[in-house]
Amino acid sequence: MRIQDYYEFIARVRIVSGHDVLEKIPDELKKIGATKPLIVTDKGVSGVGLVDVLKNALGEKITIAKIVDDVPQDSDIRIVQRLAKEYREVGCDCLIALGGGSVLDTAKGINIMVSEGVNDLMKFTGKGVVKKALKPLIAIPTTAGTGSEMTQAAVIEDHEKKLKKLFVSPFISPDIAVLDSRMTLTLPTAITAATAMDAMAHAVEAYTCLGKNPMSDTCALTAIKLIRENLLTVMKSPDDKNGRLALANAATLAGMAFSNSLPGVVHSLGHSVGSVCGVPHGVCMAILLPYGLEYNLHKNEQLTAELLLPLGGEEEFVKTPKHLRAERTIYFIRKLNQDLHDVSDHRHARFFKEVLDREGKRMVPRERLPEIAQAALGDGTVIYNPEDLDLDDFLMIIEASWEGVPLDRSRIKKG
Amino acid sequence: MGDYREVQAGSKPFKRAYIAVMLWFVGRAIQAAARVDKAVREEFEKLPEGFTFSLGVQPHGPYMIVGKNQKGRVKYLGWKPESKVVDLRMAIKNIEAALLLFTFQESTAISICRDRIDFDGDLPPALTVIRAIGIVEVYLLPKLISKLAIKRYPVWSFGRKYLGRIRIYFHSILGY
Repeated sequence: MRIQDYYEFIARVRIVSGHDVLEKIPDELKKIGATKPLIVTDKGVSGVGLVDVLKNALGEKITIAKIVDDVPQDSDIRIVQRLAKEYREVGCDCLIALGGGSVLDTAKGINIMVSEGVNDLMKFTGKGVVKKALKPLIAIPTTAGTGSEMTQAAVIEDHEKKLKKLFVSPFISPDIAVLDSRMTLTLPTAITAATAMDAMAHAVEAYTCLGKNPMSDTCALTAIKLIRENLLTVMKSPDDKNGRLALANAATLAGMAFSNSLPGVVHSLGHSVGSVCGVPHGVCMAILLPYGLEYNLHKNEQLTAELLLPLGGEEEFVKTPKHLRAERTIYFIRKLNQDLHDVSDHRHARFFKEVLDREGKRMVPRERLPEIAQAALGDGTVIYNPEDLDLDDFLMIIEASWEGVPLDRSRIKKG
Repeated sequence: MGDYREVQAGSKPFKRAYIAVMLWFVGRAIQAAARVDKAVREEFEKLPEGFTFSLGVQPHGPYMIVGKNQKGRVKYLGWKPESKVVDLRMAIKNIEAALLLFTFQESTAISICRDRIDFDGDLPPALTVIRAIGIVEVYLLPKLISKLAIKRYPVWSFGRKYLGRIRIYFHSILGY
């Protein structure tokens, strides 16, 4: 095993995980000297009653200053500014983010504004601009996928200028991540599948891309194993609390891994499909993951082969000849997508032409594939991919993943 | 207690001089490549007119500044970033990190992955500039060395590779 000459790794989030751990939050807040939280969430989360679960868990021990539940699907600068204003008006002294990636990113944005005492969040875009400790932030993920509770980054969109702005600093990450199995019990199966595959993509790319390091490797391998052991079980028995908790842990571990080693082509294209066609991130990750592994295979055969152990299990790993393990890893990812497709009544898409909106229309029209490929060229994750990519390479991958056919490997350029 | 004197970091004049020469030549080669090579020209066409970027070493340089003027021509603008409006700053964290990069012990991608370069500016233009510098490296360096600097060595025609190389060296040395 080769250790990188140099790497950096940070994971400063305190994790509290268990079946009924929301009840620990008052004590956790007391430890960090906070008493009046602003709870940030979205309509979907409050609609399924998770805010009530949180309120009951907090009981009388904590005075909730205010609950806001109008965070949109993509975090937005205007809502961040409005909620920062409300935070100040109500006199809060900490934040609790209850939701998925958008809610967590919104809370991170609010925290920058109220801690730095500014009215313009955009002064803090970029890497390392936030240089001091922020107000206490507790993250309670309600999807097991984004890993946003572990990351040092927030993506907040300026919808007027149509720009997604990135904020990166170790101070942005939450102080505490509370993983409570009750929070993901109500997640519909299709979203459970997509978000778990999002975590899988984080782990696989963290392990196989250029920023890998031994710390993130350990997190990634455990995350993959937990997803393999629990995802299909949870899909068949959504009330399986142990399975739900295992998936939440997998997502957090994968978040810890990719936050420190950063992903590659699967995310470059996934971000572009998301921004051009509005396809949910987890769906993009599930579809693109086998293609990313195929594209990088000539550079990454050894690392891809190593993933067969957590992905296929010990017996599969031992019985597969060494030279076939990498191919088998790709096969297992595709098989997992197929199994999820079958068990979710075909709601889990295996390729982009299968992705439909609520009216049953294709979300990714074939004629938009060149636009997606062009957008991927400007995505920062492309740097971390082991093999280089130009416009033709992106187009080749997105066309194959739209059609649902394996990559034509004779077209992959090797230099 | 003993008497401890403050230890000053060495100025490393030879390493600094080597990096300064490399940045100076790469800056002029980018200007030349934007005239000679279609792919580099197309990369710079994506950038707005007046766009300027710098690549240098923290905290005291050396630097190179390259910009696109109002006519769309790419120009090497010297080595002093002061008094220039720079849209994208790429700053290598220290001289040792710069040496790893410019002696091709680390590729540009690995250097970024190891967090040795700070970026101040929008990401898509930064990626455009990195792609353009990658092409310039292929022109300037023999295959054996440029394979260490970039992820994938391109397959180019004889004319593009060798005639292009001669033209880029010629323009870089003469500075136009």
